Amino acid sequence: MNQKTGDNLRYVAHKRRVREDRRFVTGKGKFVQDVALPETKHAAVLPSPYPRARILAIDTTAAEALEGVAMVLTGQQMAADCNPIRLGLKLPEVKWYPLAVEMARYAGEWVAIVVADNAYIAEDALELIQVDYEPLAPIIDPEQAFAETDLFVHPGHGSNVLYHGNFLWGDVDGDFATADDSLTFRARWGRSSTVPIETFGALARWDEGTEILDIWASIQMPNFVELLANTLGYPLNSIRLHQDVDVGGSYGVKRGIKQSVLVGYLSRKLRVPVRLIEDRLVNMAGGDAHGPDRIFDTDVAFNSDGIIKSLKIRALDDAGAYPGRAPFQLAKPISAIVGPYTINSVKYEAISVATNKTGQVPVRGFGQAPTNYMIEMAVDTVARHLNLDRLEIRRRNLIPSDAFPYQIPSGSNYDSGDYHTVLQKGLDLARYDELLQRRDRARAEGRLAGIGIATCLEPGGGNNIFEYLMDPTAEITTFMEACEVKVDPQGKITGMMGTTTSGQGHETLFATILGEELEFDPDLIRIVHADSLSALPTRSPVASRMAIMLGGAATGAAGKIKDRAMAIAAFNLDLPVEDLEYSGGTISDRNDPSRKLTWAEICFIAYRAYHKLPPGMEPGFHAQYVFQVPGGGQLPDAQNRVQIYPCFSFQAHVPYVEIDPGTGKVSVLDYAIAHDCGTVINPDIVRGMVIGGLAHGIGAALYEKFSYDGEGQFLSATFADYLMPSVHEIPDVKDVEHCTPSPLTSHGQKGSGEGGYLGAPAAIASAVNDALHPLGLSITELPMRMSEIEALINNGPG
Amino acid sequence: MAREDATGVSVKAAKFDYILAESVEEVVATLDRGDGEAIVIAGGQSLMPMLAMRLATPAMVIDINNIAHLSGIDVRADEAVIMACTRQATALASPQVQARLPLLAKAISYVGHQQTRNRGTVGGSLSHADPASEIPLAALTMDARVSLASASGTRQVALADFFLGPMMSARADNEILLSVHFPLGSNDTRMGTAFHEVSERKGDFAVVAAAAQIQLDANGLCSKAALAIGGVDGVPRRITGLEARLLGSRIDQDKIRAALPEIANAITPGDDQHASAAYRRRVAGVLAERALLEAVAEAEQ
Repeated sequence: MNQKTGDNLRYVAHKRRVREDRRFVTGKGKFVQDVALPETKHAAVLPSPYPRARILAIDTTAAEALEGVAMVLTGQQMAADCNPIRLGLKLPEVKWYPLAVEMARYAGEWVAIVVADNAYIAEDALELIQVDYEPLAPIIDPEQAFAETDLFVHPGHGSNVLYHGNFLWGDVDGDFATADDSLTFRARWGRSSTVPIETFGALARWDEGTEILDIWASIQMPNFVELLANTLGYPLNSIRLHQDVDVGGSYGVKRGIKQSVLVGYLSRKLRVPVRLIEDRLVNMAGGDAHGPDRIFDTDVAFNSDGIIKSLKIRALDDAGAYPGRAPFQLAKPISAIVGPYTINSVKYEAISVATNKTGQVPVRGFGQAPTNYMIEMAVDTVARHLNLDRLEIRRRNLIPSDAFPYQIPSGSNYDSGDYHTVLQKGLDLARYDELLQRRDRARAEGRLAGIGIATCLEPGGGNNIFEYLMDPTAEITTFMEACEVKVDPQGKITGMMGTTTSGQGHETLFATILGEELEFDPDLIRIVHADSLSALPTRSPVASRMAIMLGGAATGAAGKIKDRAMAIAAFNLDLPVEDLEYSGGTISDRNDPSRKLTWAEICFIAYRAYHKLPPGMEPGFHAQYVFQVPGGGQLPDAQNRVQIYPCFSFQAHVPYVEIDPGTGKVSVLDYAIAHDCGTVINPDIVRGMVIGGLAHGIGAALYEKFSYDGEGQFLSATFADYLMPSVHEIPDVKDVEHCTPSPLTSHGQKGSGEGGYLGAPAAIASAVNDALHPLGLSITELPMRMSEIEALINNGPG
Repeated sequence: MAREDATGVSVKAAKFDYILAESVEEVVATLDRGDGEAIVIAGGQSLMPMLAMRLATPAMVIDINNIAHLSGIDVRADEAVIMACTRQATALASPQVQARLPLLAKAISYVGHQQTRNRGTVGGSLSHADPASEIPLAALTMDARVSLASASGTRQVALADFFLGPMMSARADNEILLSVHFPLGSNDTRMGTAFHEVSERKGDFAVVAAAAQIQLDANGLCSKAALAIGGVDGVPRRITGLEARLLGSRIDQDKIRAALPEIANAITPGDDQHASAAYRRRVAGVLAERALLEAVAEAEQ
């Protein structure tokens, strides 16, 4: 790809207004709730109160008799008319239906759905449904689930283990044998997630005339329409997903497949539009939107100078009752399994188990945030063991800037990076020397104070090849993205993308790149979202990929538009293309600029003057481009080494915390982050991702947890119990960008959507442990709740 | 908006009759008729979510926001009266409250957020009787009384007798809380107050909170001590054993520490996912000490 970077850019990398902001700030967004269709009915769902129970009988007569109720559907009835929802891994006996069939497998699982004239009546009807349950002992602890020999979440599967794989890259035994020392630690990442203000919503209408099922859904998911079609047993081309609705927040979790199957089925059955908007209780307990819940047991081999030689990692992940694509969140981190460090070899044992908890979905970073937390814990633990400064150990282990592209043991080639410089920028921004003095002063005054250091990677670009690592029958080697660009008879430009968007600013991104390439003001370029029947191939906005992938597709399509304009001009000016110069849509003779064709003339010819088109050229003026993941497309080699993600962004975090020793309460008082995602396409968007992600990470580190009690009851169904940080808990963040362009992308850009989230939990853990260090204490479980920290400090029972 | 007109709302209360009352007489008559199925709504900061989640399903909701004389702050010679429907934000901003009821002002600054305090009322918080809530804790420490009205008359109840358990109080189903009455000492009393709370996030209900109000005589000896702890039992708890040990003494850190074990006898904390009972016990002592030291320091100024 002919890459344009740096000073040549006129729109890319310039601080320009984010076009989406206006409609959100002025309340003009269009969400699923805002789509008004006549005769729409409303659905409400009945959750199971038990984590594990046999459903003996469901009596819906009273609910059905209520005035205004159109239908009550149970799991048994639904299952008779649909296929189980396809899982990521091939687990034929793990059957996931939209409503529980015969057995409820977690507290909050939906067992019936009511459709009524309005939401109140639907809710009234739920209270009239009688379910006869036989409660059973649940499987809650993931270690117990793994070891269990006869108590199974899915008895037909014959085990609670959904995936168990072993990977070996390099000479781990040799490295452990020759290293000076080794240590072992356990780190636990708690069950948290992205929890958007906007719960999941779906509206479906079966159009009897066209025999098309129209769906409006707040979806962010690859394969969504395929899954919907497979589950309902419809041909793929009879479902039309409208992607021009605003999704609200997501970062991976908006995967409402069961929700959409239900409204789709019911709307066809009832011949009226049906809408389901989750309320908060339903969303938190039964929306299947929890994130990774992971225990790491790690052995680290290192030399006495702090050089880390090798890692042995066992990751046990609790996927909940229905895994979806959850197990793959153990595979994606293989793309950066050694972080930014020159670690020579890795053994990786990945285990995914089912328990009687809410199902897990992909969350921001697809498993990378927990893995980064574990890797940074490893580095800090070795530093502490050797009494080595945490910066010094990083400086000794960070990949040097002259080593790129750098291949890690698992096969990824890191595209580019300048880790030492970015770390130094972060330290400068934090005024690290002053920060050390501040910490030491606080300690001298009897307070617990700590500085965090975390240097983490953000793989970007996406590539489904990790699926093959877990399932060699899944030979999927592309994760493409496409777009179409149209120039209309007025010469105005429209870009058509193929997915929904959930706050990432894709319209700004797309327009900026088209404007850059075609030399038109991006603010005058229209961006639309095609519906799923008219869209070109897309894998949806996941995996920190849209800047890379939609950026690549937009650049490619703009190039085709330009080529076409040049061909028209060459034909009409009777000159070879090499003699022509393109400037803002006008094409002129390099040697005689008075000989030219304006953009308006080119558009007129394209649409109206066939006789002036080069022979054989189709009339009209549009272009399509399907962009393949750079560097992807290959299966793993015999040692299971493969390039998973193409681009690797880097971040250095330096937070400062103090802990109240009497209460255990942590206050994050300062935060500096240096961030390198290559070329920044829109500075405000990237800054928003970095700071928003960082707040998300502080939540995962200190506050957010979906808690279950020992009996499997869900304890965090409201925002009074699932604690999201507010503006009061997030300090003013100082941030600085550094630019190491990726050689693989259209403008040197890399991913940034997972931003601060992939390093903040590790950084806060590092800071808290630094604060506890003078007491000889450490905490190795997230979230680090104040009650647990206080118990540690005061050595009392938890 | 009538239920029948609601399209796809995600707040889905069960059906109830709504009455916008114009007078206390109308409220008490309606409560009487309600037969325990009627509930009064003021700011709605607790009740609205409970209705939306159907944790509360009253047959009738009586809105008292239109009854003008239920709002207001009146400082008399020997007591300050805050009417039930007075917004928390109004009380917090009131110079009279800040000057004469400083502990209440300190407590209210911990109640929710600015936005919820603009709606939430002083009386609503007391009626709701959440054991981790700040206003009940402060009012209990201040020896306040509440006025309760029913169709058969008005009575006053000391807060010490008012709270019966989590969300349970001595207010009968047919009574409305009209006002809260704070006794006032003389203006020249050397009084100090402090409110300390720990919660995971700003604005949350307290995991543990401690309120202290200390009076010193001319010699600097403690003439009155009040300490109460919230979040550690089914009701906010006065620690009278500790108060008795401070009375008549010159309070210092040693004196306080010697008295702190009294807390353990007075509270019965529970476990939840936010903190263990053991945490609450330990932190009750930590916050009590901080509150007492700060109150004494303020009194000594």
